[in-house]
Amino acid sequence: MHDTSSSNVARDIAQELAGCGVKLVASLPDNWLIDLITTIAEDTRFVHVRVNREESAIGLCSGAYMGALGSAALMGASGFMTVVYAITKINYTYEIPLFLVLTLRGAVGDHHKHHVSNGLYLRAVLEAINMPYLIIESAKDIPAISRCFHHTRIYTRPMAVLLTRDLLAGRAS
Amino acid sequence: MNYLDCFRALAARRTDEIVITSAGNSSQAWWALTRDSEASFYLDASMSLSSMFASGLALAQPELKVWAFMGDGAFCMNPGMLMVEREMNLPNLVHFLVSNRVYGATSNAALPNFETNDYAAMARAMGLERVFEFRSIEALERDFAQLSAANAPGHTFVVLEVEPFSAAEQKMEQPPFDGPELKFRFGRHIEARTKCTIFGYRL
Repeated sequence: MHDTSSSNVARDIAQELAGCGVKLVASLPDNWLIDLITTIAEDTRFVHVRVNREESAIGLCSGAYMGALGSAALMGASGFMTVVYAITKINYTYEIPLFLVLTLRGAVGDHHKHHVSNGLYLRAVLEAINMPYLIIESAKDIPAISRCFHHTRIYTRPMAVLLTRDLLAGRAS
Repeated sequence: MNYLDCFRALAARRTDEIVITSAGNSSQAWWALTRDSEASFYLDASMSLSSMFASGLALAQPELKVWAFMGDGAFCMNPGMLMVEREMNLPNLVHFLVSNRVYGATSNAALPNFETNDYAAMARAMGLERVFEFRSIEALERDFAQLSAANAPGHTFVVLEVEPFSAAEQKMEQPPFDGPELKFRFGRHIEARTKCTIFGYRL
């Protein structure tokens, strides 16, 4: 039985990230991610770096990989849409693993009209650049985060997990 | 100051620093002068991220000294990087901003506001404390020891005011590595230097 309050979901995701060796977390906020980012920022198992441009998170995490430091980049769907250049140039050219934690903005239940574009294009863009992704929509699926992180190391390219609104709001057991 | 002379002076003073270059001229110049195929990562494939890449590495391996080169064309795409660098404030990172006031890798096309951009002032305005600016080889050679001082608190930002590449210099060879080859050469060097494991994984 999963406790699905928002803060407990954040705690479980943080636990999963720490458990698979993530130490550096670079983030730029999305409202849906605030609890998770706050949880990570307060957790001494992580070095949390606030960035002011999503591409900076891509650079940081890629450099951390070359120093054998596990990392994750947290950002909203809109932020991801700005980093295709950095990812295709760095992570695809050099085959550097990268683990992304994104919001599944624009899906059913997102009442913000300005995220309709993400509903239309986020997954289409991921597929266009051949980036594997997994939608995490239930608390019981949080352990898949570790498997996805490890897949980036085998695949030696980026992979993303997309977190749903209901999951992050603690409404998806 | 001449771009290649500046890099020659830096290369001569380098000891064991790890180097990250940026797209375009800094990669060409560093490769031409050092032929380093192990301890330098030529991040040709990206503008504006060499210092962030270097920061991730410097954070991961604090015993390594890391130099990041970046042209001002790349810098102007994301000057907010300095806010992140200031917060991280890594004492083992030196960020060299190679200012030639043009997009050097793009036929020396002019930068916006190139005549008045004051990069050192921008850095100080973001709270950086170890900011250096060099306009001559003589000054660089005289003060190099300060910018590379051991145990200096916080990270170091160095503006190098250089002339753009000449037409002949633009034709210098690019570092001749495919991406994965460069990753493995560099990564194996980091593994050997630090005893870390980058490429291994457990099932």
